[in-house]
Amino acid sequence: MHHFYIDEYSELKSPLHRFDPRVKIITFFSFILFVIFTSPHSYFTFLLYGCVLCALIGLSRIPWRFVLVHSLVIIPFVLMVAVFIPFLKKGQIAGAYSFGSINLTITYDGIAVFWNILVKSYLSIVCVILMMASTKFTHFLRALENMRIPNIFTMILSFMYRYVFVIADELMEMRQAKEARSIGGTKWFHTKVLANMLGVLFIRAYEKGESVYLAMCARGFQGAIKTIDRLKISGFDIMFSCIIFAVLISIKIFAG
Amino acid sequence: MHIPDGFLSTNTWVATWVFSAGGLGFCIKKTKEILKDKMVPLMGVMSAFIFAAQMLNFPVIGGTSGHLLGGVLAAALLGPWAGAIVIACVLAVQCLIFQDGGLTALGANIFNMSIIGTIGGYFVYRLIAKAVGGDKGVMAGVAIAAWLSVVIASSACAIELALSGTSPLQVALPAMAGVHALIGIGEAIISCLVIGFVIKARPDLVYNYEEE
Repeated sequence: MHHFYIDEYSELKSPLHRFDPRVKIITFFSFILFVIFTSPHSYFTFLLYGCVLCALIGLSRIPWRFVLVHSLVIIPFVLMVAVFIPFLKKGQIAGAYSFGSINLTITYDGIAVFWNILVKSYLSIVCVILMMASTKFTHFLRALENMRIPNIFTMILSFMYRYVFVIADELMEMRQAKEARSIGGTKWFHTKVLANMLGVLFIRAYEKGESVYLAMCARGFQGAIKTIDRLKISGFDIMFSCIIFAVLISIKIFAG
Repeated sequence: MHIPDGFLSTNTWVATWVFSAGGLGFCIKKTKEILKDKMVPLMGVMSAFIFAAQMLNFPVIGGTSGHLLGGVLAAALLGPWAGAIVIACVLAVQCLIFQDGGLTALGANIFNMSIIGTIGGYFVYRLIAKAVGGDKGVMAGVAIAAWLSVVIASSACAIELALSGTSPLQVALPAMAGVHALIGIGEAIISCLVIGFVIKARPDLVYNYEEE
């Protein structure tokens, strides 16, 4: 079956991939904070942040297309929520249009708010894409665990990572089987079949969860997963992180 | 409905992160009491199930399609606390892997869909199931609670956006609630049919079902 990939480009060789996941998480999370705490009118600052991100993408060797395609996820939300903002804020009027009986006025305040959320959400999303695409998901979870995120979450997420493909595979097979056989029929019929498929999938998944648990018990599971793979922060990690922070802080100081 | 970064003011995203973290901590405590060390593998596989179920698109009125949120479905099958954890894990993965929702806004997204949508939805479902009684009550309860959870979660999202000064409440609230009132119909139908199937096939897997 054809699948989406969770960490398709995590095996590339680049400084960003070598970066220790813990330091990487802290660095990129700070990057997002830098972005969202920038005043909406400092256009030049946003441009510089964008340049830093472009440089990092170039450095990471992750295909530009991949970053671009993934960053378009915010579009539906922007369309639904943000696109009306320029018309709704009160303030100095930038332009007025009338379409028949509908009068639309665009205000400068509205445009400022729109620009603010658009640029911030876009830069932040590119940060997250870069962070996740250059890290193996298992390493990412290990890093979270070391950063004192309750290990119940990291363990659940690691199980989810292991089983999501298995279960998605079963669902796709069921759907393929259904599409191959059921032709015609009302919409209600198809909805019902779809729901029954999900019911079957739930029961199978639940039984799988139980048998996985029993298999783990048989192998000595006592509520915690122990691994021998250790993360190590090297001089390179500290240096790389310092460079990014130095760039961010100097952008903050000199461009405002 | 997944809020990206930059849409929320600092007060809002920090406050919702704190609420969500506290709520999930409570859920973990409750779930651990019930499932003990079976919790991790079972919750992991269940999160994968909800995630896969969300990939299945179904037609909504007017040629558009929606997908399942699964909050009330998860709560009805697994109980409110485990359901909330499952939905929170799904939201975290959607944020990290598919960038559906921002990192700073993850707290707000978990608050809307997992804390309000799932736990709140569960209590609505129980209330209706008790009032009507029998299998019909369970199915009606799931359907109404599923619809309500989608609408309430999207309204909470609109309120958070308004509190952040991103979009005025009198516009965001009707727009979000209106669109999701339509999406919620699909959610209600699918959730209700799935629970109906599981009641017939494996009633022992439905949370608290034997007590009726």
